[in-house]
Amino acid sequence: MRSRIIKQTTHRTTLEHYVIFRFLKPPRMSPRLHRLKSSSLFAALTPLELKIVDGLLHERRYLKDEIVFDEGEEGQALYLLMSGRVRISRLHEGMTQVVAELEPGGFFGDLALLDNSPRNAQARAMEPCEVAVFFRADFLGLMETDAVLGYKISLALARHIGLRLREWMGTGRPQLEAL
Amino acid sequence: MSPVPSVMHGPERAGPVVWTGIIGATCLLLLVVKQMLWLALPFILGAVLYYILLGPMQRMVRAGFSRNAAALWVCALFFAIASLALAAAMTWSDGPEEDSWEATISLYLDGGVAFVRNSMALLEAKFPILAEMRLTSIVNMAFTNYTNDFAQNHLGEIVVGIVTWVPSLLLAPFLTFFLLRDGVRFKKFLARAVPNAYFERALYLLHEVDQTARRYFEGLLKLTVLDTLVLALGLWVIGVSSPLLLGLISAVLAWVPFVGSIAGCVLVVIVASTDAPGNPLMAYGAIGVFVLVRLLDDFLFMPLTLGRSLHIHPLVTVLMIFAGGILAGVVGLMLVLPLLGVVMVIGETLGTLVTSPRLRARHRYARALRTRQASVDLDIARERRGAPTPNAGK
Repeated sequence: MRSRIIKQTTHRTTLEHYVIFRFLKPPRMSPRLHRLKSSSLFAALTPLELKIVDGLLHERRYLKDEIVFDEGEEGQALYLLMSGRVRISRLHEGMTQVVAELEPGGFFGDLALLDNSPRNAQARAMEPCEVAVFFRADFLGLMETDAVLGYKISLALARHIGLRLREWMGTGRPQLEAL
Repeated sequence: MSPVPSVMHGPERAGPVVWTGIIGATCLLLLVVKQMLWLALPFILGAVLYYILLGPMQRMVRAGFSRNAAALWVCALFFAIASLALAAAMTWSDGPEEDSWEATISLYLDGGVAFVRNSMALLEAKFPILAEMRLTSIVNMAFTNYTNDFAQNHLGEIVVGIVTWVPSLLLAPFLTFFLLRDGVRFKKFLARAVPNAYFERALYLLHEVDQTARRYFEGLLKLTVLDTLVLALGLWVIGVSSPLLLGLISAVLAWVPFVGSIAGCVLVVIVASTDAPGNPLMAYGAIGVFVLVRLLDDFLFMPLTLGRSLHIHPLVTVLMIFAGGILAGVVGLMLVLPLLGVVMVIGETLGTLVTSPRLRARHRYARALRTRQASVDLDIARERRGAPTPNAGK
């Protein structure tokens, strides 16, 4: 049995030496890919799919109190929080209403991936933070060229919106309208 | 900390000032392009090839290939297939041929000249006034003068032109490869330079520029395929040799507005008149087919392909084509529309950004935050200079 395993391992190593078979080898998960996988949006993705998505993400850094996006602004992208904290708030009857405070791994602005309706809330950095930005056109392009990857992200997005709906129905928190 | 209702509710239409800027910038770019022709033409070819090969390359990347390997493979496969197809088209030519390529070219040129002379003679026979004007002898004299001085006046220019342009055109495959391999990286590099306040709009701008160029070049490719097929069908019906190859060359020549169409027509007529020297009806038939295809092209194919791609008013399109021709010649004619499309997107988006007080305010605020963060310890140091240092006695 042991010799069979060794034989198989040797055979795989030999194959991986050839450039043409290199695509069979699963890509290594860098710390960044692990961080992406820890987010519920990308949890179902394989290492290769994560690498493809990572190639589409843009990195931005925000200082404490800096605005990420404004309420009423046309939404173009989803933001995935890699580090730091972000406050989501909206203006309700002249008062500022805090909708959510997000921790690393959380994401916001997700409705912008579905349509280009105006943002329903403002996002502002509570401390210096680093975000990965997923542009809508890249997401739609991914849906067209890689249906499996697109369906996985869409399902995660639908689950997230469903969760927010259930939370809102249970607690009366105004999360449904936000983001 | 209260959220401020945004001033940005979707894209706004550009005003006259922005449009003046767009047209001015396009004209300026055409002048620059004229000066950098050696780079402009390979870049156009590279962009066309890039949009052809982007889809297959993305599929390979999804299959697990690195961008480098995928770009290399699709470029190598494309050029191998293109070379084979070209070799096959040259080999399968059923037209009259000589032993050497020089003799074949000479044969076709003689065929064209004979067609012009026969047509002149026919016209003189039909219209005596033309005979009195000695039309044939005038045309003959013009031909003789041109061919006698050809080697002296034009051959040198042609040879120098070929020597200059061949290395430059060889840049096209390299540009295609690097656009395929590093296009996404370059887009990210550009986006990184944009301040946070303008970031989403800048991403949208980059996307729209890419989409405009893609729509234009994809439209151009569809138009080329349609033109090739219809022209090949027409030439095959009237019996001209190598109809597919001729159709393809004419369709590619038609990328240059006006001038390209005339060059394509001349080529088709030369081949038709050489194929059947005693039957001028074939050459006239070829002219008829060509005119028919051009009409189909202008009124049916172009509105269906290129017309939909740029969303520019037809009057502006026509005026800008003339302006392009005046400013940068043939290349200006060829490049004015895609340039105008790209500059229009950039101009409209920049117009929205510059005139948005909320975005500018957010940018100023972010800059102030950064300045404060960068100078926070410097402020403390200044305070310390005024106060006694805690560790002074040690």
